[in-house]
Amino acid sequence: MNATARNATPSPGPRRKRRPRWTADLGRFLLIAGFVIFVIAPLYWVFITSIKPSEDYLAVPPVWFPKEPTLTHYNAALFAYRGLNGLINSLVISSAATVLSTLLGTLMAYSLARFNTGGQHLSFWMLSQRFLPPVAIIMPIFLLFRTYHLNDTYVGMIVVYTVFTLPLTVWMLSAYFQQMPASLEEAALVDGCSRWQAFLSIAVPLAAPAIAAAMVFAFIACWTEFFFALILTGRNAFTLPTIFRAFLGFQGAQYGEASALAVVSLLPSVALGMLAQKHLVRGLSLGAVRG
Amino acid sequence: MAQVKITGLKKNYGAYAAVKGIDLAIPDGEFTVLVGPSGCGKSTLLRTIAGLETITEGTIEIGGEIVNDVRPRDRDVAMVFQDYALYPHMSVKRNIGFGLKARKFPAAEIDKQVNQAAALLGIESLLDSLPKQLSGGQRPRVAIGRAIVRNPQLFLFDEPLSNLDAQLRDEMRGEIKRLHQEIATTMIYVTHDQIEAMTLADRIVLMREGLIEQQGSPLDLFERPATHFVAGFLGSPKINFLSGRLRRLPEGDAVALDGDSTTLPLAKSRRTDAIPNDCPVVLGVRPEHTTRASGERPAEGMLRLTVTIELLQPTGSRTYATFRLGGEPVVAELQAHDVSRIGESIPVDVDLRRASLFDAQTGQAI
Amino acid sequence: MTGTALPISGTAGPPRKRPQSLSAWNDRHFKWVLVAPAVSLVLALSIYPLLFSLWVAFVNYDFSVPGHAFVALDNFRRVVTDPVAIHSVGVTLGLTVANVAIELLLGLILALAMAKTFRGRGLVMTVLIVPLFISPVIVGQFWALLLQRPFGPTNFLLGKLLGHEVTISWLTEAPWNFIAIIAADVWQWTPFMFVLLLAGLTSIPPHIYEAAELDGVDAWQAFWWLTLPQLMPMILLAVTFRLLDAVKLFDVIFMLTGGGPGTSTYTVSYYLYQVGFQQFHISQATAGSWIFLIAITLLIMLLVQRLLRPEAPR
Repeated sequence: MNATARNATPSPGPRRKRRPRWTADLGRFLLIAGFVIFVIAPLYWVFITSIKPSEDYLAVPPVWFPKEPTLTHYNAALFAYRGLNGLINSLVISSAATVLSTLLGTLMAYSLARFNTGGQHLSFWMLSQRFLPPVAIIMPIFLLFRTYHLNDTYVGMIVVYTVFTLPLTVWMLSAYFQQMPASLEEAALVDGCSRWQAFLSIAVPLAAPAIAAAMVFAFIACWTEFFFALILTGRNAFTLPTIFRAFLGFQGAQYGEASALAVVSLLPSVALGMLAQKHLVRGLSLGAVRG
Repeated sequence: MAQVKITGLKKNYGAYAAVKGIDLAIPDGEFTVLVGPSGCGKSTLLRTIAGLETITEGTIEIGGEIVNDVRPRDRDVAMVFQDYALYPHMSVKRNIGFGLKARKFPAAEIDKQVNQAAALLGIESLLDSLPKQLSGGQRPRVAIGRAIVRNPQLFLFDEPLSNLDAQLRDEMRGEIKRLHQEIATTMIYVTHDQIEAMTLADRIVLMREGLIEQQGSPLDLFERPATHFVAGFLGSPKINFLSGRLRRLPEGDAVALDGDSTTLPLAKSRRTDAIPNDCPVVLGVRPEHTTRASGERPAEGMLRLTVTIELLQPTGSRTYATFRLGGEPVVAELQAHDVSRIGESIPVDVDLRRASLFDAQTGQAI
Repeated sequence: MTGTALPISGTAGPPRKRPQSLSAWNDRHFKWVLVAPAVSLVLALSIYPLLFSLWVAFVNYDFSVPGHAFVALDNFRRVVTDPVAIHSVGVTLGLTVANVAIELLLGLILALAMAKTFRGRGLVMTVLIVPLFISPVIVGQFWALLLQRPFGPTNFLLGKLLGHEVTISWLTEAPWNFIAIIAADVWQWTPFMFVLLLAGLTSIPPHIYEAAELDGVDAWQAFWWLTLPQLMPMILLAVTFRLLDAVKLFDVIFMLTGGGPGTSTYTVSYYLYQVGFQQFHISQATAGSWIFLIAITLLIMLLVQRLLRPEAPR
């Protein structure tokens, strides 16, 4: 129910300059439809390009649907452009970082939520990490990694992505733990549990849906991250997004390959995102708003 | 089973003092009710006994052992929480058996104990349900089952009935009382509901602003409140307070209301030596101590008045009638047909022997 | 039972000695045990590098030159006197304000339109949030594919619409390159505003509108007097989060314009990247990073701390 919805209901009162119901509904329909088209159009164009034979690229008018769809661009994207390696690297790095971040994040989130550990300062400090510009801290990390030979390695990227996603995990889960009644764990303490047992056997199982959602959002954050990967990876640990450097400027007019790679890289994160749609508000607001 | 002894207990949250110095000794097997308005520190006191709150100062002994630094799990107490704190992801059976499992009892023993507890509470048929499938009256039973199955030396109840509707509350109150009679373990029960306190308690500990205002048997507190606050807290409808001044008259002590327009004689037996003549006092008269007059003369110690009824609140068996005495409204609890309409003038007898007298300045009983 | 406390004879025994088990130690320090791993990891990857970089910013750090001569504020001076740097600040501010403002407006309109349930609303929701899960680099790639001459269909469609041939070089010609950047950012992040504002709208109790209607308030007044004030905390939250991300704009620039033509679409992030990782003026980039970091930190303190108090919208 909202202001717009109120348009539809007649009300008493002297000043009734109301448009008829169908105008409002039509306006709303056009607006939503327009935006849906705005969102879908680039997706459609990229998908079509990815299966379009190279001869169709420059046709006028543009080819809206190719007569002879082809998968050759996918082949090229995955192998010639090493998309498959990037996919595997992204998968390994994002998964490992997600697991680590969730593990450490759940512990910290619980401590912040239940014991207000470190007061406002600790949780705020954690949050501020989320907003630090990567470009401002990348140089020392780059030099540090250079010293310890962590540049272009899985370990280096996993560590960076764990830290990169920790604020999200901590804040999302901390907000969730806060709204769980503390009496459940207290009952477990009285029942004979240690703090750890109460945490592991009561709090964690109950927070399982939120933890799963936090994992999804952490994974998506890693999967779509570009800047750290651009600086810290090279020929070995490169992730999917970094491959798009190859298409800069389209000197070779590799439209199909770029599109195919885009489709391949966005499918996993979009699919996961839809799975966690229910928790989206929580995820976007770092738990500050209940979904 | 165990006695509980609390000495000089204080609990601060930062600058805020929730409990300001409590000394309390609870004998083995007694049912003690901590009662008071919200914010009086009763729940905090209970939680310190459970070990869920650290204490700022003082000691807590359970069964002769100082437990200040003992973890909740090692105190051998059981607690029923206000929201029952049933583990939502466990069946009733696992909920009840959780404490035994945490203490590493063998599975067969846990089963046996759980079934016994369930039988005692009449919830055998619910053992495989999840908490969300339980009705309002079944939840407290499961919570109590989880507490008794461990056979702890001390039971703690934190307002366990406050979320129930009136009818269920009456029913569960009876069951808790019966439970105590059957297992006779020391119980400490927190409530803000004075009726629960009166009906359940062997001893009421009435708290106010982090301190004990008065403790004793329910009737003791009801009939001989130590302070103005206690008198006002216990009893429904509330006691009538009449402000006036003490008068030492030739025929005996009296309380003068409303600038001497009305004078209520006090019973001869009441000692008022502690306060001077003309001292401001408050007289507390319970509604049930005002009855419709019958007979030619009032009985010994009764004061007969003719009053005009201003407000009627019939409840069926009783009718609460409001009249004015010395300018202040007084509620009388009359029989259903003692009075029929507003504006009616009727004779009433006020039992002044059972009235309480308080120093208006200190609130202490005289 | 009597009125006074029953005396209980001297029950105070000595506290029983309990073994100092690991479990008991764990319980006592539980909250610190829980935060220690996460905090030390973040510290290792932020505090240490930051201190290191503070040193780098004051010396001449160069892979090809041995030794690190102390140069005091030279690196900082070089950044603040660099016209490209100053220009990039302007570009960043301009793009940030434009992006966030457009996203807020569109997000709000969309949220208002979507607040009422209708058939297929769930599906529409699912479509609308898709951009949130796509890497900004890929979003940049998307818009490059849409706008790139001669391949992209945008000019063709505009030509049909306007009735004459359109030959805009979207990625290399001002002001179109800025419009391209804004389009990509708006495409990706309007859903962010929309999702949060919709959540804010649906949490407004419907009763207040019923009460207002009885008071004779019309729809427009209801929006200004009821909806907007009730939504304000959520708007502030969403704008804050978006602002703090928008000032870091890099990926889309990287893919769409490469900062060009020339250095005209350099944002602060892109500038620092160019100086540090393309020209390898490491100390100068680090000094610039510190200035940027301090500016962002001030922004965070100003915006976020006030927002995320316990009374923040929940």
